Amino acid sequence: MTDFWKRFSRNRSAVFGFTILLLVVFIAAIASLIYPEDPFRLAGKPMSEPGANGFLLGSDSLGRDVASGIAHGAKTSLLIGLIATLAAVFIGVIFGALAGYYGGRTDDILMRITEVFQTIPSFVFAILLVAIMKPSIDSIVVAITVVSWPGVARLVRGEFLALKNREFVQACHTLGMSDRRIMLAEILPNCLSPIIVIGSLMVATAILIESGLAFLGLGDPNIMSWGFQIGAGRTMLRSAWWICTFPGIAILITVLAINLVGEGLNDALNPRLRERN
Amino acid sequence: MNRSSKILRYVGKRLLQGIPIILAIVVMNFFLLNLAEGDAVDVLAGEAGSATPEYMAEMRKKFGLDQPLPVQLAVYLKNVVSLDLGYSFRHDMPVTKLIVDRFWPTLLLMVSTIILAVSFGILLGLYAAVNLNTWKDAMISVFALITYATPLFWVGLMMIIMFSIKNDWFPTSGMENIAAFYEGFDRVKDIAHHLVLPTITLSLFYLALYTRMMRASMLEQYGQDYVVTARAKGLTERRITFVHVLRNALLPVVTMAGVQVGALIGGSVIVESVFAWPGLGMLAFESLFARDLNLLLGIFLLSSALVVAVNLIVDVIYCFLDPRIEVN
Amino acid sequence: MKLPKFMNAVIMTAAITMGGSAVQAQQAGGSMVFLVQPEPPTMAGYVSTSGPIGLLGPKIYDGLFDYDNDGKMIPVLAESYDTSADGKTVTFNLRKGVTWHDGKPFTSADVQFTIMEVLKKVHPRGPNSFKEVSSIDTPDAHTAVFNLDNPAPYMMRALSSYESPMVPKHHLEGQDIKSAKLANNPVGTGPFKFTEWKKGQYIRLDKNDNYWKEGRPYIDRIVGRFVPDASTRAAAMEKGEVLYAAYNAIANIDAVRLEKRDDISVTTDGYSMINPMALLEFNTKEGPFTDAAVRRAISTAIDRQFMIDTIFFGYGNPATSALSSNFAATGLHAEMPHYPASGDVAAANKILDDAGYKKDSDGVRLKGTLDLIPYGEDWRRAGEYLKQAMGDIGIDLELRYEDVPTWLKRIYHNYDFQMNLNYFYQLSDPVLGVHRHYGTNMIRKGTHFVNSSRYSNADLDALLGAGMTEPDAEKRSAIYLDIQNILAEDMPVVNLFELEFLTVYNTKLKGAYGSAMGAYASFGDAYLD
Repeated sequence: MTDFWKRFSRNRSAVFGFTILLLVVFIAAIASLIYPEDPFRLAGKPMSEPGANGFLLGSDSLGRDVASGIAHGAKTSLLIGLIATLAAVFIGVIFGALAGYYGGRTDDILMRITEVFQTIPSFVFAILLVAIMKPSIDSIVVAITVVSWPGVARLVRGEFLALKNREFVQACHTLGMSDRRIMLAEILPNCLSPIIVIGSLMVATAILIESGLAFLGLGDPNIMSWGFQIGAGRTMLRSAWWICTFPGIAILITVLAINLVGEGLNDALNPRLRERN
Repeated sequence: MNRSSKILRYVGKRLLQGIPIILAIVVMNFFLLNLAEGDAVDVLAGEAGSATPEYMAEMRKKFGLDQPLPVQLAVYLKNVVSLDLGYSFRHDMPVTKLIVDRFWPTLLLMVSTIILAVSFGILLGLYAAVNLNTWKDAMISVFALITYATPLFWVGLMMIIMFSIKNDWFPTSGMENIAAFYEGFDRVKDIAHHLVLPTITLSLFYLALYTRMMRASMLEQYGQDYVVTARAKGLTERRITFVHVLRNALLPVVTMAGVQVGALIGGSVIVESVFAWPGLGMLAFESLFARDLNLLLGIFLLSSALVVAVNLIVDVIYCFLDPRIEVN
Repeated sequence: MKLPKFMNAVIMTAAITMGGSAVQAQQAGGSMVFLVQPEPPTMAGYVSTSGPIGLLGPKIYDGLFDYDNDGKMIPVLAESYDTSADGKTVTFNLRKGVTWHDGKPFTSADVQFTIMEVLKKVHPRGPNSFKEVSSIDTPDAHTAVFNLDNPAPYMMRALSSYESPMVPKHHLEGQDIKSAKLANNPVGTGPFKFTEWKKGQYIRLDKNDNYWKEGRPYIDRIVGRFVPDASTRAAAMEKGEVLYAAYNAIANIDAVRLEKRDDISVTTDGYSMINPMALLEFNTKEGPFTDAAVRRAISTAIDRQFMIDTIFFGYGNPATSALSSNFAATGLHAEMPHYPASGDVAAANKILDDAGYKKDSDGVRLKGTLDLIPYGEDWRRAGEYLKQAMGDIGIDLELRYEDVPTWLKRIYHNYDFQMNLNYFYQLSDPVLGVHRHYGTNMIRKGTHFVNSSRYSNADLDALLGAGMTEPDAEKRSAIYLDIQNILAEDMPVVNLFELEFLTVYNTKLKGAYGSAMGAYASFGDAYLD
């Protein structure tokens, strides 16, 4: 384990990303301390530029504090990203592992189910689900999970398909290992890299889907999130750029950070890469 | 039985299995869509400005919406089997015609985007992996991330401002210049001209995925035993990379590209909205909010047939790329 | 609204002036591309009053009259009219030599068919506008005599091509009007004829070479483009790809920005027949807002001017009564209490305190849900403002966004709402657009945009009925004063502000601004410079 940390910490960009991520999480945690008022409160002069009228990052068209919204929204956006991704990866790995390893009828059935979910244009499906369940944070998380897991499943299946016939797996069979042990302890760790990569991208995707849904008018109006801010500010992009640009930058930074960390994890988990340098 | 005939049998089997899948999708969507509140008559009446309950009851009867759900479903399935996708009462046109009209703009956008995104993605990912942990690698990763993380509508709008308004290089939106009545090759040029900004916008987003996937995949391959063996055998890095590693690294990328084709119909909703591109994404979106079930089901049907076909092609390509994968 | 004989003289004068006005050198030719937002479902303006249809239909179909910016009637398919002394017979003298786009002649039989078989039966407002018309006689091909049960002064305000388009009998007779082929293949008498509709892209109308007005239309072709994104629409306008955008197709904030350009102008003209009013509908039967005192408090607390300034960038006027102040011209509007322009939180709190609604430890008196009309970002902002404003007087609101069909079902079928933010057209006479909120007979489950509050007041019903038929202007004024007084107390609907819609246009486009119908006019006189 310490080996892993050593390798991770040697990767400068990964450490950088990790630091940024910690910062974002920290801001989310202390949001109520630094901005104790409700972020939806009409705090001052509408359409104030950044730095004017006491607004660090400006105010939006109703006079809400953009900076306050970003701080409070961090928690919402991070939680949405995290929960949706974890759920999707969990479901996807189960489906993909079982399908790739056992093959045959199991593969057929599981992959057909996956295909059912994969087939529907995912963004339209997300919109459909949110529309049916009425827009709210919960329905958004469910919608993102449902459209994200098939990608993981197919990827994991591909990896398992490729790996199950390798020599080391065949050796395990000979040794009499149980299927579950082989899947969890031998094959899965070897395809963690693509799973981690896809997982980290998915957190970003989740946050982006939320902002896309907000763009189309399907956000939750009662909870502050970055997607909400972007949705509220997008018609004013030409006149009051700060309203949706700062939340956009917040998303960008967070996504960047998450991915750098994901990369670092990938490189750290794959020791052979050391030999390349 | 040799490999080719095995593969052919597999293809046949999958195609046959595809049919119940598509049917399952239609049935599932049918019930899901009916879970949504309100129906097409509500929307039409709402837009018309008013309508009496009697008028609305009459319309429901005409559209067949007053029948119990299983009956409606049976009617729909029966029609689908005879390749009749039903009638869109909202547009007063057969669904098939509506979809066909909007299909080829979507196809155009989709194909251009995939070609651009996949080719650049593979190149950039390859370059990054080969120059691992140098500033070149970092720059590519950051670039990919930035294009991925920036909200699509923001990128689209920036494109319009930058390349259409500030520099009059491209039109702002739409698929062609209506007032000009171009014919033949002029029309092709006009459409291509309108296609540039939406394609670049959408490609930038997907580019990140392919770049990252390619890079990660290449790195994973470098860690494999056969690479160690190859080096021990004295093969050049160049040969290892381009002849052996590349071929294996393409597998996950191919999977991802395959997944994206299905997603592209819906994923382009935002780009189609920003650039007024008359594709199926916007049509699906509008038909959802108009509760135009026949139309929406028709789009889902088309999309599912497409994905089933593409997944099958991807799997077959897999077999050719990696001989160790068996087809059963 | 009285119809004295001198009106005929006015019409004669107008007819002469119009006929002789083609003296300037308007350039003929060119294509006029403009924004139509959103894409219309059909082109059947005789079945639907949907806005986008209104942008295109009146270019294809004519009405009996048009109205200029001062409200005067302009002859279109009718050259003049006479009203009998008792107001129960109106004779229209129709224009001669008019043909439909397919070449057949336009006659009084078309007028009779349009009113009796189409507008009275399937149009959303037709049954109301032409309620009193019991029959129409056609003594000859160019005379239509309307026989009314009672005088109906408001009917004369409903004769534009948007409100009552004249449709060809020979295309609709014997068919199911609501599903006739005419809907997507319109045939009218208007200056432009339908050529092509590319779904998702545009509708193209070409010049009608046989238009009855000599030398018109000037423009060769009109194209309505559909562009879903608001910022892209502004960009298209900026680049000159489209020349005209009405009904806030360009968002106010972009209009304000574009107006600074030399080649773009913005006007609030062209909406005087529409009178849009933003308002709050309340559920008066169930939920936290059944007490009129609470509704009065809510009305008192809202800073209407703030809403106008921050959300609509200054375009609009605070409401001062259940009726729009635009009705002051016909003496029907009066200012009422409980409609402060800037909001009076202290007074509102007092009303609630006096009515016995105590604040709990969090400062909350009542909890409720606010539904919003799902047509655009501006209403989101309005809802968010209202939530904050209500919070200031101890009403804790949860906002609810839903899509159109869900929202319509909730409000007008299930009455499953407490407070609903909406906007309505009050149109050119209260009978046409205002009565539908308050009459007991307008409580119709399943019908959209009528009395969803289920407010029922017998005294008010009597007054509404009187106001509908009273021919004397002064007496009518008095009736509507009583109506407004009652509504200022009961407030089943709280009017927020009178919207000012904007038309953004390129200065190249001239001649399209003479009608009170604005964007819903025929553009027969429009030309490109």
